[in-house]
Amino acid sequence: MSTKVLKVLFVVVMVGMMVLSACGPAPTPQVVEKQVEVTRIVEGQVQVVTATPEPVQKAELPKEIVVGVVQPLTGWATVFGQEGVIGAEMAIKHINDAGGIKSLGGLKLRMEVEDAGDKPDTAKLATESMINKHHPVAILGMYISRFVMAASEVTDREKVILIADALVPQVTQMGRQYLFRPGPTAWDHGALAYKFVREVAADNGVELKNMAVLNEDSANGRANTLGATEAALMDQFPVITALEYPYDITDATQIVQQLKAANPDVIIHTPYFNDAIVFGKAFKEVGYWPKFLMGAGACGYVDPASIEALGETAEGLAMTFSYNPAKNTPTNKKFVEEYVAKYGVIPTEGAGMNYYGAWVLAEALEKSGQMFPDDPLKPENLRAAFMALDLTSGPAVESYPSDHIKFDALGDNEYPGVIVLQVQNGKPVVVYPKEVAEAKPIFPNPHYKP
Amino acid sequence: MKRPKLLNSKNIAILVVLAIAIVLPLFLRTNQYVLFLATTVLLYAVLASAWNIIGGMAGQLDLGAAAYVGLGAFTTGTLLIRFNLTPWVGMFIGALLAMGIATLIGIPLFGFKVKEVWYALSSSALVEVFRAIFMMWNKVGGPTERYLPFSAEGPRSWYLMRFNTYVPYFYIMLALLVVVFIINHRIRYSKLGYSLLALGEDEDAVEVLGVDSRLCKLKALMIYSFVAGLVGGVYGCIYGYLHPSFFSTDMSLEVVILGIVGGMGVTYGPLLAAIFLVSFREYLRASLSGMFPGKGLEGLYLMVYALILIVVALFQPRGIAPLIKRGFLKLKSFVGVK
Repeated sequence: MSTKVLKVLFVVVMVGMMVLSACGPAPTPQVVEKQVEVTRIVEGQVQVVTATPEPVQKAELPKEIVVGVVQPLTGWATVFGQEGVIGAEMAIKHINDAGGIKSLGGLKLRMEVEDAGDKPDTAKLATESMINKHHPVAILGMYISRFVMAASEVTDREKVILIADALVPQVTQMGRQYLFRPGPTAWDHGALAYKFVREVAADNGVELKNMAVLNEDSANGRANTLGATEAALMDQFPVITALEYPYDITDATQIVQQLKAANPDVIIHTPYFNDAIVFGKAFKEVGYWPKFLMGAGACGYVDPASIEALGETAEGLAMTFSYNPAKNTPTNKKFVEEYVAKYGVIPTEGAGMNYYGAWVLAEALEKSGQMFPDDPLKPENLRAAFMALDLTSGPAVESYPSDHIKFDALGDNEYPGVIVLQVQNGKPVVVYPKEVAEAKPIFPNPHYKP
Repeated sequence: MKRPKLLNSKNIAILVVLAIAIVLPLFLRTNQYVLFLATTVLLYAVLASAWNIIGGMAGQLDLGAAAYVGLGAFTTGTLLIRFNLTPWVGMFIGALLAMGIATLIGIPLFGFKVKEVWYALSSSALVEVFRAIFMMWNKVGGPTERYLPFSAEGPRSWYLMRFNTYVPYFYIMLALLVVVFIINHRIRYSKLGYSLLALGEDEDAVEVLGVDSRLCKLKALMIYSFVAGLVGGVYGCIYGYLHPSFFSTDMSLEVVILGIVGGMGVTYGPLLAAIFLVSFREYLRASLSGMFPGKGLEGLYLMVYALILIVVALFQPRGIAPLIKRGFLKLKSFVGVK
């Protein structure tokens, strides 16, 4: 065989294989529902009759329901991911201790964990791996919005429910069918940060003339800032400076100098974790503090690890969160007490969101068992159960910042809840909304010098 | 040295491997994870095989692969987002742009005889420079991801090169790998190949013999950057977004590791290294990272992977290709084939 013939043969084979591959997987047979309407023509007349097909065979339930937890456990976002795993693990233990999913005969949940890594690529690979190895009915994770966006392409293809603990609004705006976000959006965080500052300033008789916005430059930072800025514009409150920086910044003194020159009364800052520490130290080093330094986006400044890293500087810093550790309900108290006993600190964002995320899943499984007793774990049925949820009581609501969970068409909670934690005497305490506050907010910032 | 016939026993073995690769997706259609992994293996094999031309043959420790991958990805993706130009065309424009940039950089670098560690540093810096440029260039890049349009099936899916399965990507990468193999094979037994191999050994001696080492290295760099640019175009489509983090020094380093561990200058070495190392690292990640949840041992797999690399470097410094070659020769003598 000549070389030329061999090459032509190879090209033909390659093109053939690619065309074959495009045919897609074989269509799966449609499951017939309990009753169908049949249109038929009888003696020239169109008639619609109701027919009962063969009885639907009841799907066999597994011995356990596998719940995947895919979180960043290596790389720069590890601190959030580890908390997320702990929160999900504790929730699953509590769900199982309470008798599992009752409508499914007390079926227990089993957690499987994968590392999402530090990039959307690795998050996508981890999701593929999780689904392939463990076939979970749902996945909890992945904290970083761009990880969720990449991985949700996989979960939607495989029809696996993804309960996201990421805040960027666009996460639920990509047309995904199997993605649900019980928590609030970054926009909600930014808007609440602004509202809190204005209210608490008015309560303390402090006049605020303007503010600056500062954020790390990912979609999360921008969405938080947008929420705060829009809320300020609605009030015609001047935003005099808007600054962005890369989240892996190592020296923030120049930016703090810029802020000092602009001298806003309030700074609403959206950091991740390391950059919050870098900025906290830079404010101290430069010796500049606005009347109030308000965090948005539920990351650094107020979480136990940031307080430890910043020490005295953390005092008075505040941040919005998607979870309320002070909510006085039996489920939440049990979670917080066990968490504190085991880890010595209160659960904050990652742990809290995954804790109530797992409980929302349990409620949806319960609902699916009631709505679709023949095949409750079928993805379409479980999705329908999620859409049918309208929770105003029960463990999911007891650990959620607001008292209502109901998903809209996009998969977002129609009743999102955000709270504000402030560092007081070296500990994070809930200071807003007033009706759930543990303590009065310290205002202005204790480091501020007029 | 005469170029060996295409159909010798070694190439028949390669054809058998190729035939297995071609039918593989038919058996793995429903296992998207393994297909994704296989596609990733091929992607790195293509990059490392292309690196083999500049690194393995010409002996230039090039750490700039991700710069060309990123340029290819951004060009292809931006042409799709802005002008609805199909990535099937965009990837070639991206590759040409990557090659053009590489040429512009290669001319002064080779002209001023920047080599060895200085060349490695320069090429590595290139990745960081492009990352910074694309991070600040808000019209094309910027810190927020840009998502590529998606269509699950039908002609639109083919037009966008965005599929609901990894099977087409697998074949695209396989086709690219075969092309790079043929390029490697052709160069290996051409005047350019002999010159590259010789200047990889002793550049001054080669110049004394009248070989224009600068031009040879530039040609090698152009071919390598073109292939990396092509891969970049597909890479963006596989992941479905564009972000300056594509300019990743980690990726460049990975390509070089595969090239070295595979066996410098050996055509099939990078493929072997990619099959072993990329799969093994993923196996370690998938099996170890979730083994001890909440115990802080999630990075254990990276330690194990690093240890394995150290062991390979210590006991097999010429790469794993010679090891496989010895095994292959033994098998041949056992079967009785001359």
